[in-house]
This record gives sequence, structure tokens and C-alpha cells, in this order.
Amino acid sequence: MKTKRFSLIIFTLLFITIALSACASGSRVMASGWAGITTDDETAYLAYNTHVYAIDLANGNLRWRYPSEPDPKITFYAPPALTEDGQLIIGGYDNILYSLNPLNGQVNWTFEGAEGRYVGGPLVTEHGIFVPSTDYRVYALGFNGQPLRDPFPTEAEIWATPGSDSECECVYVASMDHRVYAINAKTGSLSWVTNDLGGALVGTPALSEDRQLYISTFAEEMVALNADNGAELWRFTAQDWVWGGPALGDDTIYFGDLSGAFFALDRQSGVQKWQTQTGSAIVDSPLVTEEAIYLTAENGLLVSVTPEGVNRWQKEFEGNTYSGPVAAGDLILVSTSQPEALLVAFDSNGVQKWTFSDAGE
Amino acid sequence: MWDSFISLMINILLYIYSFVGQDFGLAIILFTILVRLVTYPLNAQQVKQSQAMQDLQENKKWQAMQKKYKNDKEKLAQEQMALYKELGVNPFGSCLPTLVQFPIIIGLYQAIIRALAVSPLQLLNLSKHISNGADLIPLNNHFLWMDLSLPEKDFGLSIAGYGIPILALIVLITSYVQTKLMTPPSTGGAGDQSAQMTKAMGMYMPIFMGWLAYSFSSGLALYFVVSNLATILQYAITGRLDWSNLLPQRASK
Repeated sequence: MKTKRFSLIIFTLLFITIALSACASGSRVMASGWAGITTDDETAYLAYNTHVYAIDLANGNLRWRYPSEPDPKITFYAPPALTEDGQLIIGGYDNILYSLNPLNGQVNWTFEGAEGRYVGGPLVTEHGIFVPSTDYRVYALGFNGQPLRDPFPTEAEIWATPGSDSECECVYVASMDHRVYAINAKTGSLSWVTNDLGGALVGTPALSEDRQLYISTFAEEMVALNADNGAELWRFTAQDWVWGGPALGDDTIYFGDLSGAFFALDRQSGVQKWQTQTGSAIVDSPLVTEEAIYLTAENGLLVSVTPEGVNRWQKEFEGNTYSGPVAAGDLILVSTSQPEALLVAFDSNGVQKWTFSDAGE
Repeated sequence: MWDSFISLMINILLYIYSFVGQDFGLAIILFTILVRLVTYPLNAQQVKQSQAMQDLQENKKWQAMQKKYKNDKEKLAQEQMALYKELGVNPFGSCLPTLVQFPIIIGLYQAIIRALAVSPLQLLNLSKHISNGADLIPLNNHFLWMDLSLPEKDFGLSIAGYGIPILALIVLITSYVQTKLMTPPSTGGAGDQSAQMTKAMGMYMPIFMGWLAYSFSSGLALYFVVSNLATILQYAITGRLDWSNLLPQRASK
């Protein structure tokens, strides 16, 4: 009888545990974010879940992965960045920034000074590496991983990869505190900061040649600022939160929102040129090339449209596609949440070239 | 259907959050109290039916039939049903309100957890539930010494290098007190299985709740504390608390 009673108690406790853990946050098995991708001439570097992968652009074969065996304590979602002196910089969910050797995935150094996770990618400039953290700060590091100065504080988590401006040697930081900060890259001092833009900012700001800065907000808006002083130039209201930053064409900016609407606006006036609907959330920035615009939607869509908004082709995947497409030479790379198709390469006509899989690795 | 219900709960929670000056801790407290008030009639009915069932255990007719039909389960069940009918007691009367409350409590819990979105995928999911209030994002998760989105083990206070799981201890204590105060005195003898079961649950459950509070988001632990206190208050209002249960029990003669 005692055994029966004990079993009933255990069953009750197990039931509660499963009921709670099924919907609790912070699961280490489930992905918390989406892939970040960067490329050089020969290799694509994909940061997703438990690994950073180096993938041969010629055939989609794995060159190396870090760590070689999954460690549930280490996950990666921030896009990596390459430095000119040959380092691959990547922030982890374990609050550690890693410098890897792009040739073999060996660790050069780590920076463990941040108190928060890395969601946004690092920005590499000639003055150093600028790394946004969820501990509300931006860390300025030398190329040896040593801090150059005290971190720059904001008032909320920073999920956006900062934008850069070589002309004024500025770094533009979009924070979830609803503000954009322009920081002097040499000194770390604040050049200007906007007022509350009405919603959290998680997309990377885009800077045009005529020094206009475009920033997306959760307040369902695209906002244009004067990059020299942060003065507001115009606002355009979308249909839902605008998560990904915009991409720039000659005189047009392109972006999507979480309702699935994709917009092309006149850069100078913010007037809409055209709009198309994908039917699913657009979470990241589109890719703009000379001949076409490429965008992804959450339900597993890769869409190519002409600069005039005419559909060229589209591809569907079984998994979700949160990350925006990335160009690598003649290839268009797309990451999906499916282990069998973590990275897929197409040519500009939509012909699939290869698929990188981590299933069974 | 369930998603719409969760969306409703999340939007009410965010409305309260905005109303109390963007303090998520206060919002959790008020939201839990609000849900408890809404479910109070169900809870009162459950307590009433539970009391009726307890009184039945002391009914002479009941006790007599237990002895008489000890070896005839079918006849015993028939007689019990007849007595239920005669006394107007519904044997499932205390279960039904619990079953109705269960989805509401799970919805409350899910609303809190989803609103605490800390990762990109969680926030993307939250965006699908919010009708208004994008300007409230990111939520202010700091309450007293806690980051409500993190488990206490990640930020707990430490003294001389030793972590003190204060919130988990509060959950453990309030769970224990709640269980003790609400447990009816056993009418059976030493062999009363139900009493032994209740006693064991009263011992294991608070420890288990304390462990959950220590391991999961502290926003959930705060909900546990408020929920425990609200339950104690509800029972106090219905006059069902047995304060003597908190004192050490003397061995029965």
C-alpha cells in the first residue's frame, strides 16, 4: 500500500513538473533565437543553437564547427563578424564573446566581462569591436579582446547589431529603451541621442550615403533621422511591429513587418512606392542586389521580387525562416530552423545549389 | 480557442502593468488577486462541498454502512448513492469547481511566463498575443531584489559566498502553511490511507514548490507566493482555516 501511495505522490509531482516546464521559458533544448550568418570569399559562418559552423561556399560541406561536440550551456544566435586581421567574433548566450580562428575554429580569446547574453552581433570598425549586450551596455574592445574603455550604458537590453559610419567615425546603437545613440567610435563619448521613438528598437540602423539614418520600431514605424544630429526627418506607419532593420536601394528603402507586409519607400520623403504581402511575419532585413530584392518570412518562405515589386520567384521550406537572406558572391544564402536544411544556397534565378545539414552530425 | 484565451489573459496582465506604473511584480500580484476574485465563487463552492463530504464521514448511517457492506462493494456503492441523494450531497461537487478553475490557473501561469519573454523567439511569440501596448516592450522585470524573468538561482542574494534562496524559502513556507491550515483533521485511525496520503503530500508538496520556485523564473515564484496567500485568505473568509494545525500534534490516545 505504501508503494501505491508513493507512486501516486510521484505521479502528481511529475504531472505538475511537466505541466509547468512544457510552457516555461529558458529551455535549453528549444532554440531561443535564430541563425546569424556572415561570409568571406570562400566560407559561410553560421551561428545557430549549439554551434558556429564554417561551411564551404563551393559545395555546402562543413569545414569545422565550434564547439566540436554540443555543450548545452553554450548557444549562439548573434550574427558573427569578421575582422580584417582574421578573427571571427561571435557572442554567445553564455555571456561570453568568442574570437575564433576562421580557418579552423580554434579559440583565440574570450571576453567574459559582460553580465548579459549576446543577441545582437558585434560591429567591427577600424577603432575596435563594438559589442551590444542584454546587460544594457555596449562594450568597446580591442582586437585582442581587451576592453578599450568603460562600456557605454543605455537603459534597456540591446538586441540590435550596431550600425557604423566611417565619415563621422560614429557607432549607432539602437536600444530596446526606444532610443538611438550615436557614439564616437574613437572616444566612446555620446554624440547625440534621440527622444523616445515610441517602441523598442531591435533592427540594425541603416545609413544612406547622404547621411540619413533609418530605424525600425516596435511602434509599427520606420523612422528617418538626420545622422549628424539625430533630428527626425519623417515617419512611416507600417501594419505591425517592424522587427528587422531596413535595406537600402538607390533611392528606396525596403523592409517588412510582423504582419507579413513588405514595403518599398522613397528614401527622401518616406512615401510608399509599393507594398506586397507574404502572409507571415518578416523578422529580419531583406537583401538588396542590383537585379532583385530577397526577403524571408517566418512560415518558411524565400521570396525574390524586382525593384518594382513584381514577384520573380519564391521557395518554400518546411522549417521556419527568421534570418534574412545573405549574399555570398553569386549565391543567396538562407537559413532555416530545420536541422536537415540549416543553410540553403540558391543562385539569383532561384536554382538550389546546395544544402547544408547538421542532422546526424 | 486556447490561444485566444491566453491572449486575453496577457492583454489584461499588460493593462494592469501599464496601470500600476510599469511594475511587472505589482502587475503579477494584482493579476493573481483578480483571477482569484473571479474564481472565488467556484472556490467557495468547492470548500462547501468538501465540508459536506467531510461531515458525511462522521454521519452514523455512513459509518454503519461501511461496516455492514465491507465485503460487498456494489451494495456499498448503491447505499452511498442513496445517502448522497438523501442528504443532498454531490460527491463530485468539490471536483467540478477545481476542474473549471484549472484552465484558468494554467492560463494565468502561461500569461505570466509568456509576458516575461526574454529571448527573441519568445518575444516574437508574445507579439502575436498583444493587441495594444507595443510601447510597453520591453517590460520592466525588476521587482524588489528580483529579475522576474530569471530563476532565483541565477541572481539570488548571497551572504559570505553562500546563495540564500529567499524567494524559494518564502514559497516553501507559504505552501507549507497553506497546506497545514487547509488540511482537515483526520477522523480515521492510524490505518487511514487518505490521511496518510494527505500528510505525505503536505510534506512533499511545499518542498517541491520551493524547488520549482528556485529553478523557474522568479515571476512564477512570485505568483506562487501570492496564490498561496490568496488561497489562505479565501479559506479564512469562508471560516475553514484550522490554525491549530500549525501547532505540533499530540499523539492520539
